Amino acid sequence: MACSNLTSMWVSSKPSLSDSSSLSFRTVLRPLHTSSPPSRSSSVSPLQASLRELRDRIDSVKNTQKITEAMKLVAAAKVRRAQEAVVNGRPFSETLVEVLYNINEQLQTDDIDVPLTKIRPVKKVALVVVTGDRGLCGGFNNFIIKKAEARIKELKEIGVEYTVISVGKKGNSYFLRRPYIPVDKFLEAGNLPTAKEAQAVADDVFSLFISEEVDKVELLYTKFVSLVKSEPVIHTLLPLSPKGEICDLNGNCVDAAEDELFRLTTKEGKLTVERETFRTPTADFSPILQFEQDPVQILDALLPLYLNSQILRALQESLASELAARMSAMSSASDNASDLKKSLSMVYNRKRQAKITGEILEIVAGANAQV
Amino acid sequence: MTLNLCVLTQNRIVWDSEVKEIILSTNSGQIGVLPNHAPIATAVDIDILKIRLNNQWLTMALMGGFARIGNNEITILVNDAEKNSDIDPQEAEQTLEIAEANLRKAEGKRQTIEANLALRRARTRVEALNTI
Repeated sequence: MACSNLTSMWVSSKPSLSDSSSLSFRTVLRPLHTSSPPSRSSSVSPLQASLRELRDRIDSVKNTQKITEAMKLVAAAKVRRAQEAVVNGRPFSETLVEVLYNINEQLQTDDIDVPLTKIRPVKKVALVVVTGDRGLCGGFNNFIIKKAEARIKELKEIGVEYTVISVGKKGNSYFLRRPYIPVDKFLEAGNLPTAKEAQAVADDVFSLFISEEVDKVELLYTKFVSLVKSEPVIHTLLPLSPKGEICDLNGNCVDAAEDELFRLTTKEGKLTVERETFRTPTADFSPILQFEQDPVQILDALLPLYLNSQILRALQESLASELAARMSAMSSASDNASDLKKSLSMVYNRKRQAKITGEILEIVAGANAQV
Repeated sequence: MTLNLCVLTQNRIVWDSEVKEIILSTNSGQIGVLPNHAPIATAVDIDILKIRLNNQWLTMALMGGFARIGNNEITILVNDAEKNSDIDPQEAEQTLEIAEANLRKAEGKRQTIEANLALRRARTRVEALNTI
């Protein structure tokens, strides 16, 4: 956004400002001087006007720094909340995985024919692209959009049609400006993704797949690796494998029972993120457990739940990576702002001292001339 | 002997306490669950769940899922659940009207599937308010 651009522009012009020669000051500051209204400088000497401008600049840099510092702290607090949301979702996914495993064991020999697991020859692919709502988060939105474009190019080369479901304001505005990319729906996740938003995406994806308009659904989101690193990944969402495995494009499948959690902690006084892999203990079902309906019908009810929880996890991880990216971007902006303030203050003080020295010299010269 | 009921959605625990009896709607009809029920696993329809606590019935709208009953422990996993006290009557009515209008406008298989799902959900929420 504008703020961080300006800050970096000022930083890049730092070397010329720190030059101690007063002549170079005046040449650099002249553009500023011409922009100031003539009425102000007519009563005050040009040197004093540029002194005031320097002081104004220092003040505005100080304000910018306060804002970026505050944004960093807000983002840090929100990461904690996002983490809690993931932790709250664990009882659900644990129970789901347990039941899925047990049903699959019972259905080992049977041929399962659930619509969500049907593998068809791929003619059209739906890409669900998860972006953020706001800017000022470094390269976060750009990475995921670039990944989406790369995937679209790949699909075009293979000759597979595609459609995009865009989640998040940034992605929405990007795809709106490019009408040559077919977009199915624009959705927004809001500040904290809940089951409702995941349901909206799931409904869309579900109906697209079941009505055979698309044959494969891929989910593009940013995986939260650490506070400074996030990775855009592509996972195949549909067709689901009956075991509940989630596979990415290279065929690496993650078992549903292995869950990865991220935790924001402090190490040596600095905020870090640790990822832990949990293996859900899958206890045996009591053997007398009866299925009220056909096991296939039960699977039919379970798999949409699994679909929803996968989408929700992707949304939550994407939000966490966005917050982490914003934290690091705002932190570096704050550091840049304080460096800039320091150098501007030095320039200001030197100018002030030069002015005083000049006045003294004038007085002394005047006094000498009189004598 | 009381039943322990756990209603879980993806991001929160909606209910986690003891009840006397529940009436659950499944794809194959309604089932009532009393203490010491035989262990069963069943799919849950988009419909209402009635909970009895000490002669007082409470209604909850469930948006489809799965239920596991065993050993006086009931675990219900659903896409979404709303207690009838949390639903705003006017908003629910409006959502129902919008869903019905969308279904009439729906063209093609895909929009019909979506509209049907939305309609069932809206209807369940309105029913949860009307049932005591």
